[in-house]
Amino acid sequence: MNKLEIEAVKQENVEISISDMDDGTIITITGDIDMEDPSSLLDPVFEKAHKGTLEKKMKSIILDLKKLAFLNSSGIKAIAKWVMKLSEVPEEERYSIRILHDKATTWQVTSLPTLTFLVPGAVKLD
Amino acid sequence: MDDMIKEYSDGYIELKFGPRWKYIAAARGFIQNFIAISIEDKGKADKIAMAASELLENAVKYASGEETQLFVYVFPETGGIKIAVINQATPKAAETLTEIYKKISQKPPMEAYIEQMKEAATREDGKSQLGLARIRYEAAAEIDLSVSDNSEIQITLSVN
Repeated sequence: MNKLEIEAVKQENVEISISDMDDGTIITITGDIDMEDPSSLLDPVFEKAHKGTLEKKMKSIILDLKKLAFLNSSGIKAIAKWVMKLSEVPEEERYSIRILHDKATTWQVTSLPTLTFLVPGAVKLD
Repeated sequence: MDDMIKEYSDGYIELKFGPRWKYIAAARGFIQNFIAISIEDKGKADKIAMAASELLENAVKYASGEETQLFVYVFPETGGIKIAVINQATPKAAETLTEIYKKISQKPPMEAYIEQMKEAATREDGKSQLGLARIRYEAAAEIDLSVSDNSEIQITLSVN
């Protein structure tokens, strides 16, 4: 089990795995997020990652989406909801979110950069 | 759809299906393939397929009837694509969609999308209301929405 004790998710079209790194956590999502209500899947993972990272005073979360083939707008909402939580955290206590994307996947190139504008400085895209 | 469009298009597909969520991924893949072989531009095909998928999600969420119609027209000489999705909705759903359309049309595409994203983050009703703003920005699409007296919704996208 990872440091934040977040359970992995495995469903028909999507898998979410969580692993540790120095001073942070890696959340890897693969497959397709095109279900009607992805928030029921994503919100609990992001919520636990957010709270746990702040409680343990860790400094970084990597969100690896390189093998996520599709993300619908409800899925984008779930990530945006998580990112926006950082706006409620004093700047000196914030952790950073680093999103890993695949430059050959069209939606990742067009969708993901917009997330960096939600809370200035909180999200980096690699 | 207008017969003139059909006449000047070099290829088109028309789909009708019962509004079920499980058909959306299949329709997205089909549209992506259709456009990719029609205009040989994978990036544009991906963007249009994403846009069509978002429109179909809207149609399924807001449908009140059994039939959702999807039209895709390609114009290989110019690389243009036109998509329309038509479905029956409740008056309330049609009103909501019209409000979103008017709101996002008042600002530049990226600004409207980010604003809509911030608003979506505060919603607790399970809806995102992000689809139209995402399509307009990411697919660089002109969007036209019309609602008939009996709440039939037609959303048309034009991409050059």
